[in-house]
Amino acid sequence: MSKTALRIAGISIASALVCGVAGSANAQLLTHKDMSLAMATTIARATIDACKAQGYNVSVHVLGREGQVVLAVRNESAGLATFENSMKKAYTARTFSRSSGEFAEGVKGNPNAGALFLTNITPAQGALPIKIGNETIGAVGVSGAPGGEKDEACAKAGIEKVAADLK
Amino acid sequence: MSKTTLRAAGISLSVAFASSLAGAANAQLVARHDLSAAMALTMAETAVATCKTNGYNVSANVVGRNGEVIVAMRGDNTGPHTLENSMKKAYTARAQRRSSGDFGDSIKDNFTAGALHLTNIVTARGALPIKVGEDTIGAIGVSGAPGGDKDEACAKAGIDKVADQLK
Repeated sequence: MSKTALRIAGISIASALVCGVAGSANAQLLTHKDMSLAMATTIARATIDACKAQGYNVSVHVLGREGQVVLAVRNESAGLATFENSMKKAYTARTFSRSSGEFAEGVKGNPNAGALFLTNITPAQGALPIKIGNETIGAVGVSGAPGGEKDEACAKAGIEKVAADLK
Repeated sequence: MSKTTLRAAGISLSVAFASSLAGAANAQLVARHDLSAAMALTMAETAVATCKTNGYNVSANVVGRNGEVIVAMRGDNTGPHTLENSMKKAYTARAQRRSSGDFGDSIKDNFTAGALHLTNIVTARGALPIKVGEDTIGAIGVSGAPGGDKDEACAKAGIDKVADQLK
């Protein structure tokens, strides 16, 4: 093909691509699945119970897709800061789509990491993203156990309780 | 009795009263009953479920003795403001020790009422104080139904659910 023909062909493909994208964007809404309050309540209860069974009193936050609070539970027997901390851990897990503990590992030794300067971001273990496949639809955060890994184990128990419905 | 005798008796009574108060304050701690997370969660779930049965999606907040959030629950398909509004209604009912609607009615024609200028005070109906006898230990607020009276009915259902434990 001549250069001109190639160029024309390129333009045609580009036009088709643009139209395709524009068409798709105009023609339909985004479709996604979100957590119900019932599911969030089940997760929170299972999380609290899992920690309670080990002798730990924890506060829990379950956040939705946009980081919004779906359910917050303050444990009367846990420390004052646990309520806030469980929310921030959950927000961190939601926004980075990984455990807040992994985020903490990621920024360790880097006090200037940009993410640390954002609101509600905390480098503390104890929260897990809630996922459908690779899509993060929320997070559960836990605070109050003596160690972030223990908080995280309870968060895991909470998510596992509804694992069959995360599809 | 003469006036003097009456006065003397009055002074004695006052002194005795003051002494007993001072004694109590120094000698023992204040005994209180407070809401547990489990009870608060039951109340919020009941309130949201009751409104759901009535055909309304609502959010609910249960606050404790000091107005602290114990449970915050975002109902499915509710307006984004309902979580905040239910919290503020609950805070108002706790602070005023009466329904947020009764508070609203009482200052209806008084835009300069001092309480209106405090943080988290609203005049909307939909929250009730949680009481043990005359002692207000918290409040439950609901938002999302088409009318504060409908929100309040669900808040009442939440309290009724645990009424036998409020002692």
